[in-house]
Amino acid sequence: MVLDFQYDELLLPDQTLANQVVDGVSYGYAVAIRYPSYRGTFISCIESLELEMDGQLVKPDAIRFRLNNKEYLLSQLKELFKEHWFVLDTAHLVVMNNTGLSAGEHLVKIRLVHRIPYTGYFGQYLVLESVACKRLLCQT
Amino acid sequence: MQAPALSNLRKSERKGKQVSAHNIQLSASLYSLSSYFVKDLFSFEDCLKSLKDNGFKGIELVAAQMVPEYPYPSDRWIGELRDLLAKYELEPVCYSAYIDYGIRSDRDLTEQEIVQFTVNDLIYAKKAGFPLVRTQHSISPALYEKMLPYCEKLNMKLAIEMHHPHHPHVPVWEQYLDLMHHKGKGYLGVVPDFGIFQLRPHHLLVERLKKAGFRAEKLSEVLDIHTARAPISEALAVGLTDLEKEFTESIYEKFNPISVTELKDLIPVSPYMHGKFYYLDNDELDPCVPYHQILPKLKEYGYQGHIAAEYEGHHFDMSVDVPEQLNRFVRLCNRHLA
Repeated sequence: MVLDFQYDELLLPDQTLANQVVDGVSYGYAVAIRYPSYRGTFISCIESLELEMDGQLVKPDAIRFRLNNKEYLLSQLKELFKEHWFVLDTAHLVVMNNTGLSAGEHLVKIRLVHRIPYTGYFGQYLVLESVACKRLLCQT
Repeated sequence: MQAPALSNLRKSERKGKQVSAHNIQLSASLYSLSSYFVKDLFSFEDCLKSLKDNGFKGIELVAAQMVPEYPYPSDRWIGELRDLLAKYELEPVCYSAYIDYGIRSDRDLTEQEIVQFTVNDLIYAKKAGFPLVRTQHSISPALYEKMLPYCEKLNMKLAIEMHHPHHPHVPVWEQYLDLMHHKGKGYLGVVPDFGIFQLRPHHLLVERLKKAGFRAEKLSEVLDIHTARAPISEALAVGLTDLEKEFTESIYEKFNPISVTELKDLIPVSPYMHGKFYYLDNDELDPCVPYHQILPKLKEYGYQGHIAAEYEGHHFDMSVDVPEQLNRFVRLCNRHLA
């Protein structure tokens, strides 16, 4: 059991869920997340990222990871060893569900599995599982 | 969320006076303020101001933590950094780097890529006015030696942190120290992290252990046995669960200090040192890291240079009042340096 690296409270900030609309057309919603650590990381260190909305696991194919003015498929994250996630920057998980979310509270759960890239010197990298769950408001 | 209130001491009392009967100066790693920075309680400038207010003379910057464009800080950011250091009269002591071998998913970084990263760090550190980059032991002796020509050309020092569980007598460190004392003298050096002298679990770890399921009375028994330096077999025999046994083994492994007299041979190749601490209940004694033993020895051995406060309690609990911890650290050091 890992006793240090206790930064998970950063993962899901108290930000509203934002419906994504273009020219009046709703195409999805976005969940804000922060990297739960004392330092930034490279996106390739994300080994797994899951989102649950109101108790339902969101299909990975429907999620775009938005950071540094770019969007990636979750399946592309492992390639992004030059894309840095600054520890103060907010990334967004954009869910392409065609409709956005209904107004009001939603239960959001994030599970992030991430590799600590400097820890491999004894033969194995430390891989942490960070989990956060909270009710967040969607304002339409 | 609001920052915890600072104590009610007058500013003149809070600001640790530097003792001048020796040439040891107190600086601080900005990493100490990690929890305040990542929780948006302190801006970068607030962090610098807090260190200045506590009487520190210089700073260590962990670039991967506080530089927005890491690993390539912009000229604009570097200009702002220089202006802020001038404003708060803080000396740039060290630009700290990582050996992130594991950033790729398909393989470890190659030697060439590690050299690329480290040269990059040296260049940007110099650009920002730091005379020194602190790197990690995982660089390997072979690559460390390869960095020497870059250090000479840039007139930059490259130091490796000696961090627990390492000490001067593990084979890799014998190689590093040989390089530092001879071929790389003046450019390569060691940053002893005082965690190598840590005696017993600190308050925040004890609380974490309890929260993780170590029964309080059993933990207390184990800590008493560990403090008495009795063998681990005695501690494991007090009727522990498998998880408690795992934690007990970890306590014996992590709190297994070397002698502070080891500092004597490190001083000639130490450009600065890491004042690691996790939690100070007061400004008189750190029961975990023995500053009451370390600091008189540094004076006795004639160490001249910075000790950078490195508060690391944020790894265990982000709700602690860190400016107050740093203030206690300054007062603790001045007490034992006087």
